[in-house]
Amino acid sequence: MSQPRSGALEGEAENAASTGLLEFEEQTEVGELYLKALMRRQVRLSLGVAGAFVGFLLVQPLLAWWWSGWGVLRIFGIPVSWLVLGVASYPLLIWLGSIYVRRAEEVDDEFTDLLS
Amino acid sequence: MTGSTAAVLGLVAMAAVSLGAGLFARRWARTTSDFMVAARAVPPRVNAAAISGEYLSAASFLGIAGLVMQFGYDVLWYPVCYAGGYLLLLLFIAGPLRRFGAYTIPDFAEGRFDSPRFRRLAVILVLIIGFFYALPQMKAAGLTVHTASGLPYGVGIGIVALVVVAGVVGGGMRGITFVQSLQFAVKLFAISIPAFLLLLHFSGTGVPFSRGAGGLERLTNATQFQVSPGELWQIPARTNVEVAHPASIGWQRQRRASILSAPSAGFEGGTSPTVTVNHHRDHLLRLDGAGQLPRGTVTWRSTDTVTIARGQPAPFGSGTPASSTASWIAPFGPLAGGTGHPLLFTYSLIMAILLGTIGLPHILVRFYTNPDAKASRRTALLVLVLLGSFYIWPPILGALGRSYDPSLYGTNLTDAVVLIMPSQLGAGWLGQLLSAVVYAGAFAAFSSTLSGLLVSLGGALGHDVYGRWLRPSAGPAARRRAFQLSALGAGLAAAALGLLVEQFDISVLVGWAFAIAASSFFPLLVLGIWWRRLTTLGASVGVALGGGLATCSIITTMVATVATPLASFLAHNSSVAVVLSQPAIVTVPVAFGCMVGISLLHPTPPKGVSSKMVQLHAPELLGLRREYIPE
Repeated sequence: MSQPRSGALEGEAENAASTGLLEFEEQTEVGELYLKALMRRQVRLSLGVAGAFVGFLLVQPLLAWWWSGWGVLRIFGIPVSWLVLGVASYPLLIWLGSIYVRRAEEVDDEFTDLLS
Repeated sequence: MTGSTAAVLGLVAMAAVSLGAGLFARRWARTTSDFMVAARAVPPRVNAAAISGEYLSAASFLGIAGLVMQFGYDVLWYPVCYAGGYLLLLLFIAGPLRRFGAYTIPDFAEGRFDSPRFRRLAVILVLIIGFFYALPQMKAAGLTVHTASGLPYGVGIGIVALVVVAGVVGGGMRGITFVQSLQFAVKLFAISIPAFLLLLHFSGTGVPFSRGAGGLERLTNATQFQVSPGELWQIPARTNVEVAHPASIGWQRQRRASILSAPSAGFEGGTSPTVTVNHHRDHLLRLDGAGQLPRGTVTWRSTDTVTIARGQPAPFGSGTPASSTASWIAPFGPLAGGTGHPLLFTYSLIMAILLGTIGLPHILVRFYTNPDAKASRRTALLVLVLLGSFYIWPPILGALGRSYDPSLYGTNLTDAVVLIMPSQLGAGWLGQLLSAVVYAGAFAAFSSTLSGLLVSLGGALGHDVYGRWLRPSAGPAARRRAFQLSALGAGLAAAALGLLVEQFDISVLVGWAFAIAASSFFPLLVLGIWWRRLTTLGASVGVALGGGLATCSIITTMVATVATPLASFLAHNSSVAVVLSQPAIVTVPVAFGCMVGISLLHPTPPKGVSSKMVQLHAPELLGLRREYIPE
């Protein structure tokens, strides 16, 4: 096992043709701004998707707390509370995950296009 | 009831396949870097299967079904949050960490903060979390071998520890991708096929949720229970029994104090002294041959064989609170409701498991085997698909267990419900085959996670403790030997500790490892990756305080099971008991608060933080960094 090479920022000359990339690579203030904008877009996307799932989870105990019918309600003899938490959670996870992967790749690609 | 040739064959076959595949892989991958380079060529599909194979531990394969059988709805949070943790990993960690090139948490801690001292702190926490996580795997190993062959719990642990250690020491990390993706397939097959066939088998008798709606679970077969002195039974309604020897037994009319179902709801086995509360109120009962047990709690005074006929109410052992089926189905049932603070408990549990996944020591390694951040994200997404297709099944087996084999409550074998349910399909070839398959799946579950943990623990001990602190001058051969010895030592230590945890539920033990990880490494990774102003001091204090507090509160809960004064204090302060046994809801905010607060008060960001952020977040296509190549 080994550690990452810190500070290894050796771009290849042919890639660094454009000014945007140069700014970025030499860590000028403009480059910092580019990076901050990228991080802000990515973290907003992540927080939004995470919020949707965490909200879905956190609302269920409250629902059960305020409405006693939540534990009793049934469909085809199976409690709805079990179906929502124990079954529906997984397609939701996969759907949210696929939205995120598509959007995150778009953000990265737009950023790459912008700089090069 | 327990033990069969098919079960033993299933275990032996899986052990042989795992060891054999490891040895085979050894021939074409010679060194660690060979393995790493080869792994880069692995497509995301196979990589995702390997990650899932390593992640689905005994807690997922055996523990969830067992806990669902005991406690019902509240347990569904476990599988959902186990899977949900991977969504958070995908959202916040998978891409940046792959770009950074760190493949363990100590690597990240040192690389992001340029601080070898911080690395030491991270290594210590890796060791704590790794051992906590290894304990329930050991318990599962002992339990599985015991139910398969009747060998004592300790012997089972010993055998499995030897097999797993031999695999890790002999094969190291080489070829593990192949073995683990194979193990995932075995686990998915072994949980879904039996659950599906059992659903078909019982489909004529109504869904589990409609049986026992009168409030009682009744035995589906005449059952013999072996009881020993001191063993407790909760009798939900008058039950006709037959004893082999005349016996005198203690009886308490009222339900036992809430200690049994609270605070961590994980005590099993009836050896805990906390259950002798109110002993002076025991009445004495005599049983000669056939007799009747009254409603309440009975304490057996002698070793005996008790036979209960089919259709009688199922007795509950000390591990499971005797709950009505209605409260078992409803939210805030015996698990969360038994604590007295159901909302607090539920939210703390969600927090620990959802956030803890990211901080487990053996999880991040595998993401490094992706070629770039894009592949890393896609791999994490595929892992979500695979985990989702697995986690639907264990609760079904647990629910079927409650309806169709409630004798497991009396024998305190609910953790083995996945292993025992296939026998409901009869003694024919199908039942035998499925039995072999579930045992193979169980072996795959604890051995894959144990292997991953031993590699992480051996790496932390051999590479960090030995190679950096004790003998920095050691060469590669000495380090390799140190890794092997460390893995051996860690395996033996985990096996020895595993002997002590028989009375705790598998998933409860796992929940504790998650709580410690959530309170230390989760804030470190999320803030370290996304917040450039995080300072070394802030991060170290946050990790030490969050991880330390979580560890202390969990150890307090464990000590309370053997120290009566502490137990009675906790019984009278139930909110304290909830927080101690499920500390994440306090310790995670404490860790985050420390990191942010100290970083803002002493704003001394580590040198070169801008270039670190570029490494973490700049897309690879920009070509800004030289490809990272491991030693």
